[in-house]
Amino acid sequence: MAGFVSRGFRRRRRAGDEEAGRLPPGQYAEPGFPVLTAGPTPRIDLAEWRLRVEGLVAHPQEWTWEEVQALPRSAFEGDIHCVTKWSKLGTSFTGVSVDTLLDLAEPLPSATHVLASSYGGYTTNLPLEDVQGGKAWVVWEHEGQPLPPEHGGPARLLVPHLYFWKSAKWVTGLRLLDHDQAGFWESLGYHNRGDPWREERYWGD
Amino acid sequence: MDERDLRLDGNHAAGMLSEVFQFEMSSEWAGCANCGARNQLGAMEAYAHGMGAVLCCPGCGQIVLRVARGGGRWWLDLRGMAWLQLDEGAWLLE
Amino acid sequence: MGRLSWQVAQIAEVRPETRRVASLFLDVPGWDGHQAGQHVDLRLTAEDGYQAERSYSIASPPDGRRLELTVERLEDGEVSPYLVGEAHQGDRVELRGPIGGYFVWRPELGGPLLLVAGGSGVVPLMAMLRHRAATASRVPTRLLYSSRTLEDVIYRDELERLAAADESLTVIHTLTRAQPTGWQGSARRIDAALLKEVGWGPEQRPLAYVCGPTRLVEAVASDLVTLGHDPFRVRTERFGPTGVQ
Repeated sequence: MAGFVSRGFRRRRRAGDEEAGRLPPGQYAEPGFPVLTAGPTPRIDLAEWRLRVEGLVAHPQEWTWEEVQALPRSAFEGDIHCVTKWSKLGTSFTGVSVDTLLDLAEPLPSATHVLASSYGGYTTNLPLEDVQGGKAWVVWEHEGQPLPPEHGGPARLLVPHLYFWKSAKWVTGLRLLDHDQAGFWESLGYHNRGDPWREERYWGD
Repeated sequence: MDERDLRLDGNHAAGMLSEVFQFEMSSEWAGCANCGARNQLGAMEAYAHGMGAVLCCPGCGQIVLRVARGGGRWWLDLRGMAWLQLDEGAWLLE
Repeated sequence: MGRLSWQVAQIAEVRPETRRVASLFLDVPGWDGHQAGQHVDLRLTAEDGYQAERSYSIASPPDGRRLELTVERLEDGEVSPYLVGEAHQGDRVELRGPIGGYFVWRPELGGPLLLVAGGSGVVPLMAMLRHRAATASRVPTRLLYSSRTLEDVIYRDELERLAAADESLTVIHTLTRAQPTGWQGSARRIDAALLKEVGWGPEQRPLAYVCGPTRLVEAVASDLVTLGHDPFRVRTERFGPTGVQ
């Protein structure tokens, strides 16, 4: 219904000029942190929690919660962008860099893609280069607090330069592959890569 | 807040599904491909994620239906549904 | 696509119900009618094109003159603070619906009828009660309605009038956070014991409609099934999360 406007309605918070420059096309600034869920929150016992890097690697890895906490810590500060159009500017997460994990696992030359999998069955796929070079983390703290379960705690993948559905909540494994394998949303019309600056939201974008 | 708070029922996915099907979907019946239970879509547990909706079997919790919409297209994954019954007599949309 | 396309509706009246809740009376040209229990999707568009969409249960019965939506203003809401507080007569919104064929009641469906409401979950159940009254139905009906305080009870006077005029309708309130002095009624959250005390036994095969925050709805539905009620005769409408209970 072109041209219809509801008098006096505005979004919760309007982006200032500085913020507007940081927003990818089609996004708006969201001060909160909306919870989007595609299924029940898995209940994970930290004693049972594992993180694996496997597939096309020279040395498959598996870490317990204590072991992953003992790895060198790395923090991200910046913006995250959800394909549902909200962006959260100036937030922070802490965990371990995926580079640290891959350094130990040693990807084989044939590895080109990653399939991340989560407790509860969620999956998402990415090009391997999108998790290398300081672009990705496995994080367990958000803004100084332990990551809450509804936001992916105990630990989630964080790949902030891509749409946030790639930052798999409740991550448990990264499998390196020599081909792209569509994950949960990618098999239902969403883009295989998901670059917000190119508005890669859906197939064919 | 707890994810239990976020769970809805198929009534909310009904609006979305009714745009695709010619029927008012929340009262239609479907069989779960996993456990065989039959339920009306309105009775199923729904997760109305901003990217799409997921309906789960109230019996076994498995995904019965996934739907996403964007960029002028719909996508439907009905693998979790063994069958879907659409009742011609009830509530046909004009 | 007929009723599933967006239509423009004009607010004819905004009527405060409680400190957080108001009813909007809408004129919707070409409204085709609805069943008690259904909802609409409502959409607001800002000047910069930003749109927000929410679902609201219809409070008016099928035979009502205007379409009535009763909305609770949520603390950090985006749409509800506009509808309850900013919007006034003459303002226009977009609506789509009616939606939902599962959570509906018509007199032909019979009873006895057990309606269980948590907070603003009473809205679709009120549409059912108004429809029941308008059709002079005498289906035995009990409404068990949980609110924080007496001031938060929506439609309080109307519920009292309906129950006073009709022996086959009973309204039971439970106030979970604070009760007025001398309160004789229930003061706790709805649990299996309260449902057993207030509702019918499974041998009566009541039709139950439960509406409100997700947690309340799931707990009540689960309790009803544990008490022996047929799960196919327990219908639910989860509203998702709300603020502090």
